[in-house]
Amino acid sequence: MRLTIMNDSRFEALQSAPLDSWIALSEDESKIVAVGGSYDEVVTKSENAGVSDPVLIKTPKAWLPISV
Amino acid sequence: MSLSIPYKKYPAPTAPGGFFYAASIPVNIALPAKNAPRSKRFDAIIDSGASGCLFHASIGRAIGLQIEKGEPKQTMGVAGPANLFVHEIAIYIPGGPITTQAGFSDSLPIAGLLGMLGFFEHFKVVFDPTARRVELERLYCA
Repeated sequence: MRLTIMNDSRFEALQSAPLDSWIALSEDESKIVAVGGSYDEVVTKSENAGVSDPVLIKTPKAWLPISV
Repeated sequence: MSLSIPYKKYPAPTAPGGFFYAASIPVNIALPAKNAPRSKRFDAIIDSGASGCLFHASIGRAIGLQIEKGEPKQTMGVAGPANLFVHEIAIYIPGGPITTQAGFSDSLPIAGLLGMLGFFEHFKVVFDPTARRVELERLYCA
């Protein structure tokens, strides 16, 4: 099975996302549907926005290449 | 069944082009009990350098874990040692759930990492930098 995503839209959404936050992307990961300071907050906000199956991302304090 | 997933672009203003690519997939986690409610899907980076799977503690709390009651462990990252708590959970990934021990930490800068124990031991993983895709083939051991 070969999956595709809206990589450019997703990237632009991440660029516009607040740092050190939780964000909820739409099911196709093309846009931000909710932003919160915690996992619980962004889950509530995405459900309030009518998106029941978002993809959540925790944004770092600064966007840098990852080496955890 | 194999799954071909495109690398995803992440912002990195200091990197050439202002971004880097990583292989990541959306996963859910849950307590290992049957019919336990799952977390929302979240972005987890596939990281062969991680000895196990590691998730942000707030996701663990959301599925009902008492994080600090897990087994405390210390791991060595490239930035130095990190403290985490280990719990048994189910990870919902392509091919069906995997029950494994995973670490949880409030200081993880991202939502999740998929490492050797709990992820790579269950998949044949092929990174293709020319197509910028990762192929996952689930392994089922008798």
